[in-house]
Amino acid sequence: MGDLLGLVLKRLGLGLVTLLVVSILIFFAVELLPGDIAEAVLGQSATDETLAALREQLGLDRPAIVRYFDWLGGAVVGDFGVSLVSGDRVTDAIADRFLNTLFLAAYAAVIAVPISIFLGVVVALLRNTVFDRVANVVTLTSISSPEFFLGYILILYLAVKTNAFPAIASLSGDMTFGELLHRTFLPALTLVLVVTAHMMRMTRAAIINLLASPYIEMARLKGMPPWKVIVKHALPNAWAPIINVVALNLAYLITGVVLVEVVFVYPGVGQLLVDAVSKRDFPIVQACCLIFAATFILLNLAADVGAILTNPRLRHPK
Amino acid sequence: MTKKNQILMDRLAEAARQGKISRRQFMHHSTAAGVTAVTATGLWTQHAKAQPKSGGTLRVAQHDGNTTDTHDPGVYQSNFDIGLVHSHRSFLTMINPDGSLGPDLATEWSATPDAAQWTFKLNPAATFHDGNKVTANDVVASMNYHRGEASTSAAKALLAGVTDITDNGDSVTFVLEAGNADLPWLLTDYHLCIVPANADGTANWQSGIGSGPYKIVELDFGTGCRLVRHDDWHGEGAYFDEVEVLVVNDPNARQTALVTGDVDTATLLENKTLGLLGRNPDIVVENVASGQCLTMPMHTDTAPFNIPEVRQALKLSINREELIEKIAFGAATIGNDFHHSPAQPYWPSDIPQREYDPDQAKSLLASVGMEGLTVDFSTADSITTGAVDAAVLYAEQAKASGININVVREPNDGYWSDVWLVKPWCMVLWGSRPTPDIMYTLAYSSGAAWNESRWENDGFNELLQKAKAELDDTLRAEMYRDMAMMARDDGGTVIPYFPNFIYARRSAVGRGDSLSPAWQMDGYRYASRWYFT
Amino acid sequence: MSMFVIGYYAALIAASCLAAYFQRRQVFLLLFSLTLVSFVLGIIGGVPALRVVTICAGLLALAAGTSYAFREFLIQISKPGLAKELRTAPLTAAFGMFVIFTYAIAGVFAPWIAPHGESEVISSAFAPADESMLLGADQLGRDIFSRIIFGARNSVGIALVATTLAFVMGALAGLLAAVKGGWFDNFIGRTADVIMSVPSLIFALLMLSIFGTNLWVIVVVVAVIYSPRVFRLTRAVAGNIVVMDYIEAAKLRGEGDWYLIRKEILPNSTAPLIAEFGLEFCFVFLLIAGLSFLGLGIQPPTADWGSMVRENATLISFGDITPLIPAAAIALLTVAVNFVVDWMLFRSSGLKEM
Repeated sequence: MGDLLGLVLKRLGLGLVTLLVVSILIFFAVELLPGDIAEAVLGQSATDETLAALREQLGLDRPAIVRYFDWLGGAVVGDFGVSLVSGDRVTDAIADRFLNTLFLAAYAAVIAVPISIFLGVVVALLRNTVFDRVANVVTLTSISSPEFFLGYILILYLAVKTNAFPAIASLSGDMTFGELLHRTFLPALTLVLVVTAHMMRMTRAAIINLLASPYIEMARLKGMPPWKVIVKHALPNAWAPIINVVALNLAYLITGVVLVEVVFVYPGVGQLLVDAVSKRDFPIVQACCLIFAATFILLNLAADVGAILTNPRLRHPK
Repeated sequence: MTKKNQILMDRLAEAARQGKISRRQFMHHSTAAGVTAVTATGLWTQHAKAQPKSGGTLRVAQHDGNTTDTHDPGVYQSNFDIGLVHSHRSFLTMINPDGSLGPDLATEWSATPDAAQWTFKLNPAATFHDGNKVTANDVVASMNYHRGEASTSAAKALLAGVTDITDNGDSVTFVLEAGNADLPWLLTDYHLCIVPANADGTANWQSGIGSGPYKIVELDFGTGCRLVRHDDWHGEGAYFDEVEVLVVNDPNARQTALVTGDVDTATLLENKTLGLLGRNPDIVVENVASGQCLTMPMHTDTAPFNIPEVRQALKLSINREELIEKIAFGAATIGNDFHHSPAQPYWPSDIPQREYDPDQAKSLLASVGMEGLTVDFSTADSITTGAVDAAVLYAEQAKASGININVVREPNDGYWSDVWLVKPWCMVLWGSRPTPDIMYTLAYSSGAAWNESRWENDGFNELLQKAKAELDDTLRAEMYRDMAMMARDDGGTVIPYFPNFIYARRSAVGRGDSLSPAWQMDGYRYASRWYFT
Repeated sequence: MSMFVIGYYAALIAASCLAAYFQRRQVFLLLFSLTLVSFVLGIIGGVPALRVVTICAGLLALAAGTSYAFREFLIQISKPGLAKELRTAPLTAAFGMFVIFTYAIAGVFAPWIAPHGESEVISSAFAPADESMLLGADQLGRDIFSRIIFGARNSVGIALVATTLAFVMGALAGLLAAVKGGWFDNFIGRTADVIMSVPSLIFALLMLSIFGTNLWVIVVVVAVIYSPRVFRLTRAVAGNIVVMDYIEAAKLRGEGDWYLIRKEILPNSTAPLIAEFGLEFCFVFLLIAGLSFLGLGIQPPTADWGSMVRENATLISFGDITPLIPAAAIALLTVAVNFVVDWMLFRSSGLKEM
């Protein structure tokens, strides 16, 4: 296990380097964007004088490199600066919304991950039967419709026509946990529909891929029932790709849900990021992107550790 | 009264209660049903005017709210900001529901005969939410925030002609460079709200304290806010106990929230769902003619738009009726290539409407040897709903004149900095301005920063200056008529139509006889003017 | 009881009997359980429910028949070796091929098949279907059917090119990384992490705002966004293979990296890659649709299914099916692609049992 710990530490170190590269990339991408924060804030009513005055006020007249290192110096000691538009501390602006995003992602994941792995195993077992085909068509249809469209359809049937769930997932402080689950059910369901198919199909593919292996043949020849062959012999060796795709989808649940937030009016961090990009509010963009990147790196690390734990051969890379 | 008429009267009363018909319509139909005018007036008061009740919490689904919104009046931009400022802050003057100018913090105002000096008397009853009185000092500080070298305010240009503002104790005086008969109208601009002054004479906008009908209890930019009534408000109205504004940027979400009753009223709905939504008996859709304007400015100093015949041909190649029918779904007022809406004062009604005439356009182009003209036309989805569709449709119509319009969909992001005033031909949606003078000065006068068509017409500019200082309404109206003709025939802007404001409320929400054309939602003064029936 | 209901049950029972007589166990079970379900359905939903069942069954039969005929057609026109392979194709795969074939024809010959021009305005907005317009008109009065046909060319073409590009880049990098290992593996892995750790919509938004919304920029940006996903999968699969004994043996034999990739690793890792291709294709499609949501997608008036859904999506709240048509076109294609992918997956996995 010592190897593993070393690997985790090494990966965390690399993760920090990745974050640094992301921060550089994002900073210069925002710099390269046409227009700057002064133009974005003043919009249609900007004049040359007011633009110049605002730029000076925000310190944009300094060279880009200086501003980047300024920011980096703060970030290293945990100070992510203040939003250029509102003047609020970046950490304050992001904290609540990030928790909301995490909550929604967790909600969707708790439903989607077990269902999709279970369904994946079941359809692998029942491959090429009617059940397999139906599950296939349904999940494929659900992922091939744009997510905002899925959201609209769910709203139509579950909110407008039957009034079972609220159409708007706005949050207020004094809700009980049950109310919260009820209120955010539709966005969570939309996300479940979006990610389940991918995970389910990868589970199925990974298992089926192993079914021709000699040891599976052996198990089958021993007279083991098919479900036991799959659960006991195929599944343990299929974990690596499955864990990988689960990690990918979890990352998506956290980072890729802007459109669902818009459709259900959910106060998550995606909308904040899009607003900040359009206003060129660099500290917010940077902080959001770094949070996303960190989430992603940690999930990946978890996936890799999981893969190594399930395949001992990977523990001793040559 | 016959039974049939009785049923008609009942329906009318119901419609009146829900605010679906105006007082004039009510009177007209009632007298047709055999009721005398006096009785009808009585019925109207009894049913519709049934004195607005106080109480309740109004929940609003508001479009265009961003996490980057702010309390800073200098950079107000989003509709959420504009909606909020009309609820929690006050202005010197305001636009009444009928489109006329009325008092807000200023009770009365007067000018010197050359209109170069204006004095506004302040309402002594007005107080800020923290209990302090609104003083002339606060007004001066608020106005100076938008003036001077270091100001970063978007309204700086608006007050550029003001040389001095003085504090006279119970009134303030604006001293202007040159006469401006429209100054009281100008002061309704959403940037020019009154905030408390700091001890050093600067404006304190950061606290969010205002002197408007509602004060802020909770606020999270990009999410929404909760407001409660300011009991010492100086105006009349403010019937709701509380107002909850929820930012809902997706049009479909606003619409469904309204249908399911999650909110009581929703701003900016999509025109294409207008008819479908109107069938719902619980919902009243408001369709209000406005001073907003869709413009298509060409740079008149850039080839090929520097040739007047080319501009004329492009103006003749647009089928305005079809655009209104298909893009605005009927909810718009036809344009005539001059930027003066019927919802603004001094509108000249006798100028002939320009029609779609591809043949004449073709011969005009032939006369300058520009047959088969090809031009790029920039647009973006964010300008207004259907902006790209409108451009595509125009391009289709112009094919009949042998003009090839190449529609370029620009990114929403950065449209105002990289496309508008930069690309030679683009699409713009102008917000409502209260008077033609303000509009023409902003975007058509020589040397104006936003002269989007780079149009320089000496006759027009001369008349504009003359009309500005003219306090006689008849003379002014004549001048605006002449200017409209010049813009229409020589200007570089194609104006297809003036889009209406489309918003809706549940029928439990009542409103006055008419709705202000200045902004969405009764000029964004719904919080103080509407009530629960 | 109407004639329809009597006929309905008579047909079902007769078919069940026939299936039983000819010892078709599966068919019999299917038909008879349908009969039993129909009793319940008939009681609850009445005649309309039974009609719906009939229509669905008819459509399914039609699809099955078409697929069967199409498979036979393919077998007839192809060379003996290929024909033998095709014979193993299940009906679903044949159906998938048929749909892809139809879309391809529609895309290639769009200008001749479509009754109206791509951007031609021919009637009033949202006009209902009539004999000149198969599916009615869209918000500008353009023929939806014609736009769907042209959309097949634009949307599918772009998505296909972008997905292929993403696969070439991602798979190649993944295989190389797995074989070479060491710093190269790490470097590519970190690069992929950097790209993936920026949310895809934001990444696309930034890149397209900087480089403009040229068609090729869209294709490249989308490919760059998706290639790390392919890379990771390839790397994971190939990583499992690289530690196998036969790779060890090949390395000891002195085979080069390229040989290892081509002859040893690729054949053993195609299955998950092919499965991924089918899905990535849908994702690419959706990302492009999402990009037009941000005003950065394909330029109008070019017909594109993603934008066609978006433009009228709000109408779905009023039960209008206009936005469902292009959405169904997208769904049908992805389902079809994945049917074919499933079949290939099945073949490449070397499974002989059915």
